[in-house]
Amino acid sequence: MSFIPGIGIAKGMALTLLRFFQPKVTIRYPEVAADVSPKFRGRLQLLYDEWGTLKCETCFQCAQACPIECIDMGGTDTKGRYHVHWGAAETYGERRDESALRRSGRPVPDEAYSHDQPMNLEAVDAILAAYDHDPGSMLQILGDVQDTYGYLPVAALKRISTSTGAWYAMIYGTASYYRHLRFDPPGQSVGICRCTSCLISGGGRIQEALERGLRASLGKTPLSGGIRLEQLPNHVAGASSPLVMVAGEPVALTPETAEPWARGLAPQSGTRAQA
Amino acid sequence: MTTLLATPAGWPQILLARARKAAPVGSPGSATATGPFAGLRIAIERLGPEGTIRAIEQSGLRGRGGAGFPTGTKWRKAAATEASRRYVVANGYGADPAVSIDQVLMERDPFGLLEGVAIAAYAIGASEAVIAVRAEYAEAARGLEAAILAAEAAGFLGADILSSGVDLTVTVRTVQGAYMLGEETVLLKALEGKRGQPEQRPPHPAERGMFGQPTVVQNIATLIAVPWILVNGAEAWRAIGTPDAPGTVLVQVSGAAANGIAEVPTGTTLAQIIDLAGGVVPGRRVKAVLVGGPSGGLLPATALDTPYDFGPLRAAGAHVGSGSIVVADERTCVVDLARLLTAFCADEACGKTIPCRIGTRRIAEIGDRVTSGRPRPTDLQLLADLSHDVVASALCDHERLATLPYASAMRYFRSELDDHVLRSSCPAGVCRPIAVAGVAAGY
Repeated sequence: MSFIPGIGIAKGMALTLLRFFQPKVTIRYPEVAADVSPKFRGRLQLLYDEWGTLKCETCFQCAQACPIECIDMGGTDTKGRYHVHWGAAETYGERRDESALRRSGRPVPDEAYSHDQPMNLEAVDAILAAYDHDPGSMLQILGDVQDTYGYLPVAALKRISTSTGAWYAMIYGTASYYRHLRFDPPGQSVGICRCTSCLISGGGRIQEALERGLRASLGKTPLSGGIRLEQLPNHVAGASSPLVMVAGEPVALTPETAEPWARGLAPQSGTRAQA
Repeated sequence: MTTLLATPAGWPQILLARARKAAPVGSPGSATATGPFAGLRIAIERLGPEGTIRAIEQSGLRGRGGAGFPTGTKWRKAAATEASRRYVVANGYGADPAVSIDQVLMERDPFGLLEGVAIAAYAIGASEAVIAVRAEYAEAARGLEAAILAAEAAGFLGADILSSGVDLTVTVRTVQGAYMLGEETVLLKALEGKRGQPEQRPPHPAERGMFGQPTVVQNIATLIAVPWILVNGAEAWRAIGTPDAPGTVLVQVSGAAANGIAEVPTGTTLAQIIDLAGGVVPGRRVKAVLVGGPSGGLLPATALDTPYDFGPLRAAGAHVGSGSIVVADERTCVVDLARLLTAFCADEACGKTIPCRIGTRRIAEIGDRVTSGRPRPTDLQLLADLSHDVVASALCDHERLATLPYASAMRYFRSELDDHVLRSSCPAGVCRPIAVAGVAAGY
């Protein structure tokens, strides 16, 4: 390319001039999503009004919108209670897998999804009354609700939120942290121990073989059913290493036999589509 | 049930003494049969709160939860902080999945634990105590609840304990679901019903802990040692083990040696401890010893003369941690093991701080590259830099220690790491690195 003196500054000025005459655009956020480049790396900043008060109303819309759930917030009102939060934060856990698929260009399964299925919540009310609607007993409340329903239904979480006054997003944050709490009905699962002596005797390679065989990653709920691979809470005293358990029974596996064994266990994706 | 290993005659048996011979728990009579709360009686009738704290300070007792914080200092801080109420929390969440020391102690010596809790509560002026038990230890929780009822009936707990005018309510709370719950501030968050993430320290929980009140969080073994110290005197405890961290510790040996729990004086060498478990399985050779649990350090066979003590272990690149000592034989690939341990720690990271959430994951990814035969020539330098940065910016000990497996592997097993990184080969034959022309040739 031939060198013309001043071509760079001319190009730059031309772009500036072009922008000068373009109309200003106000996007009706959040109704219309802004067009953000995939390389965009934003910075979160809370703004203050002219009296120095935080403009943030802890509406949790940012926490709900964040695809990787990195935004979290907390706070109390003037009486020292938790803020009541009425948003629809329940959507973000489920939307996360979907959004990952959509961004990577893969097909998104079209599953009928309702975030608030009507259900009988009398049991939740009884549990809440037993714990005096105290958000400080949140773990016991969540544990008892899960014992009753087998999992934590969204409607139950919503009831807990409205009746204890704890934000839905805080309850969701608590429930999603603890490994024994789950948001969907329990399905078939394979448990693997990750204690140090299991890792030393080949547990890590068995885990990788099982992940390939089951097409599931440890601790993640597969998007469309299938067998889950879960971490056992602790090594069963007296059991041999490495330890893999199915329905409370240990299975003897080696890194070589684990993958074909898991393949035999997993429902074939083809048969599921026909069913 | 995990076996309790026999120790040579003449070695002190303090923490396991009652666990060894305890009658089945739950019968009210065992409150007196296993120990008549003599330590609590001495604390209340002879020493008073201030004297109790001074006795614990003089004994030099350090917390058995891994960090080794001086127990007396912690109690004094909690007692000196102005507050309307104070708490004692017994941390019975044995986080390390391979270790059952806490479980054994709580199942077989519930009254020893209750006595320790009562003394701690009396010393700092707490009227409420919580024993946090891992939900998987259902038998321990049941046994403790029965023991609390029995002790209350006998006047050792509840209202007006031993006619001293002091009340103490002890409750058992089951917690589960995260490795991080072994960390004290995380455990307190769980007891408050919140997401388990550690807190910035200071203020330490002894100044501002559960529900914002001064809280003393102690390991089970620490609390069981407390009554013994009051009964036998601080000097007797000081006479055992090393001057830096006197007393006995509980260790659990597993891996390529018989699995069992042993009580050893501090300063016992690793080789002696492994010999207690009958030594390495015949036909195998010690290649590495993982000391301290999943985030422990990998020590080579030549470091087996390291004394088991807070200071020397840290200097050697490991730590006391959960008390686990896992023996790895020569079939183990140290690089692969360190990768699996780091991946475990990365999975268990709570996500509060970026160095931990992303840093440990990056370290695990470097391990993935190295063990699958796709190393980059700069990986070792990157590993060292990243480990340093993660340690320097750590919020809690989890991330600080999560770098230990690779840090100790770099220190002691450098040639094996070099084989993986520079020559794409695995001496133990565990990883399947593919030597790629060009990567392997130049270095």
